[in-house]
Amino acid sequence: MKTISRMTMVAGTKAAAAPGSVRARAPLATPNRIGNTARSAVSQMAGAPAGRVVVSRRRDLSLNAVYQDGQKLDRPLRVAIVGGGPAGACAAEECAKAGIETFMVERKMDNCKPCGGAIPLCMIDEFDLPSEIIDRKVNRMKMISPSNVEVDIGSTLKPNEYIGMTRREILDDYLRQRAEENGAKVINGLFMGMEQKEGEKGPWTMKINSYEGEEKKKVDLEVDVVVGADGANSRVAKIIDAGDFDYAIAYQERIRIDDDRMKFYENLAEMYVGDDVSPDFYGWVFPKYDHVGVGTGTVINKPAIKEYQDAIRDRAGDKISGGQIIKIEAHPIPEHPRPKRIEGRVALVGDAAGYVTKCSGEGIYFAAKSGRMCGEAIAARSKQGTQMIGERDLRTYLSKWDRKYWPTYKVLDILQKVFYRSNAAREAFVEMCSSEYVQRMTFDSYLYKTVVPGNPISDLKLLWGTVGSILRSNALRVSQGPTVTFGRK
Amino acid sequence: MAAPASTSMTRTTRRTTLFRAARAPRVTVRRSPVSRASENGSTAVVEAKKERSPSPLEKGGTLDGEKALGKDPAGATKAKLNKKLGTASEQTFEDERWVNQTWDLSQFSGSDGNTDWDAVIDAEMERRRILEENPSPSSLKEKVLFDTAIIPWWAWVRRFHLPEAEKINGRAAMVGYFMALVIDGLTGTGIWDQQNSFLGKVALNVAVIGIMFIGSTSDLGKLKGLWEEATFYDEQWNKSWEGVERPEDDE
Repeated sequence: MKTISRMTMVAGTKAAAAPGSVRARAPLATPNRIGNTARSAVSQMAGAPAGRVVVSRRRDLSLNAVYQDGQKLDRPLRVAIVGGGPAGACAAEECAKAGIETFMVERKMDNCKPCGGAIPLCMIDEFDLPSEIIDRKVNRMKMISPSNVEVDIGSTLKPNEYIGMTRREILDDYLRQRAEENGAKVINGLFMGMEQKEGEKGPWTMKINSYEGEEKKKVDLEVDVVVGADGANSRVAKIIDAGDFDYAIAYQERIRIDDDRMKFYENLAEMYVGDDVSPDFYGWVFPKYDHVGVGTGTVINKPAIKEYQDAIRDRAGDKISGGQIIKIEAHPIPEHPRPKRIEGRVALVGDAAGYVTKCSGEGIYFAAKSGRMCGEAIAARSKQGTQMIGERDLRTYLSKWDRKYWPTYKVLDILQKVFYRSNAAREAFVEMCSSEYVQRMTFDSYLYKTVVPGNPISDLKLLWGTVGSILRSNALRVSQGPTVTFGRK
Repeated sequence: MAAPASTSMTRTTRRTTLFRAARAPRVTVRRSPVSRASENGSTAVVEAKKERSPSPLEKGGTLDGEKALGKDPAGATKAKLNKKLGTASEQTFEDERWVNQTWDLSQFSGSDGNTDWDAVIDAEMERRRILEENPSPSSLKEKVLFDTAIIPWWAWVRRFHLPEAEKINGRAAMVGYFMALVIDGLTGTGIWDQQNSFLGKVALNVAVIGIMFIGSTSDLGKLKGLWEEATFYDEQWNKSWEGVERPEDDE
């Protein structure tokens, strides 16, 4: 159904281009330019004089006139979004809603990304997600310390509060379809590169290997603004020289376990800490729709990731024993934002920008939200697509984003630095999480994504208790196991 | 999985070397020209060019060589590897005083009939040491119930702080006395007058607290490291704003 509608979209633009005989008269190096054909279609619809639509190469250039920031456009603004995950889809939806001509490039429409797939409660409301995409409602969590002290978290949750577990292929597809319904043009293609032929205020020409139709076709797409939502290994980031980030490798095995054991994980997620499962992160057992995801991650010792994976399987022990591994996945997870997140008329969002929290490693909500905020900024600053925007306009998104979410990221950074240092600190972490006050605060901030200041007296008590826990567990530590520091690498 | 195990198999005699170095020779290959580069520049540069670019697992914050010292998954993972090779002395934790997943305090009563908390602390230290080197699976049936908070605060203080306190007090007294002497010599204000003045009291407190934080010169490095760690993430975030004027939110 969906592929058919996409095919007709392409066919439709071609048909619209045919009367203007774009390709027949313009001696273009590349045979097929989506940007041209689509634009001619749009400008005809907008009632632009037909004579202005491409007659020769020279005229073509005059149409591509270099627009200064803020200059009025006689056609809608053209935005290309590279990547069709939550970040890309949400950015595309906002742009398309505002009447901007939006293209979204995604190669794998059924990409089943290795990912915990947990989304906070507020995302369901904010992004209007239907209940079908939630596979499981997790309302209990277990934290397990290096010496196997277990703490059950979740008793403070209200009956209607839960962490939603989703499958990424379902969630991404839903968000993409919604963008498409709002008017975004989804291109099944691989983004190969892009260049600005007419200086830094000129349009971007994107090279795409299109897989629309039967076979691969090389096409060029011409746009004004590019949003890079293409994940941790972003090509867009590379092209604009956005710099690198440190990253963790997350390794996950999807394991199908028998019904009795699965019942145990029905609405329970487990989180293991200890330097056996990861020197600077945690290991997990998350329930998926009919199996569990068992995994771990690390930044500082990535070559040993398989040993850590063995360790997490051992630690989960009997609870997952006898299971069958149905899939193995690994993926880089950014540790911090890239040095450059905006360059000229190119912006990065989601994992491509590096918006993953420390400590919990959460990224779906932040990706979707950053995509949406970027789309909103483009729509607002271009006056619904009627004028050209520049770096400063895109930076309004960055500024809002940093102001809004910096505290959340910083708090989680501090938590990671304090509590993932050593086994002793991890013991203290688990001890601390047994306090109901801590559970309420962490769940509130996770589910609703706001850092709510707590009761100062309880905070002081908590500080006192935490310092006590850390001192005690450090005192008990005789073996000289590893201690991690989180400074410059 | 098989490859690293077999490489370590050949090196079982060098078990004491770092885990990473033992199981991944390619890391050492990559490292060698760099270390040589510091000795004689020109030849090493040519060599370095021949190197394959590091794999994604070795980039992006992976620590290597000197920097990885002490940050490797030492005890735990090494022990696991040993187990696989069949050379490890597998140590499982067992103790007759550990009953129903907690320390049976009745077995810890000292000669005076009260609980001997020092013995409890010792026993728990040993338990954690064994678990750290031989992590045991978490179990549904046997939940650990022991909570270190049941050991009273004075037992911790007596055990861990008092031996240190002697040192700290001694140092504070020496530093304080020496500074008082210097001030006396410079200004002619006697020790008694210094004690009575507000400035003197402030200086006294600064000396005592300072000694608590900076017991030795190595502590200075530690504090500096902590400060760097605390501000590092801020720097990483603020990179995108360097040299750029920040637009207002309502713009």
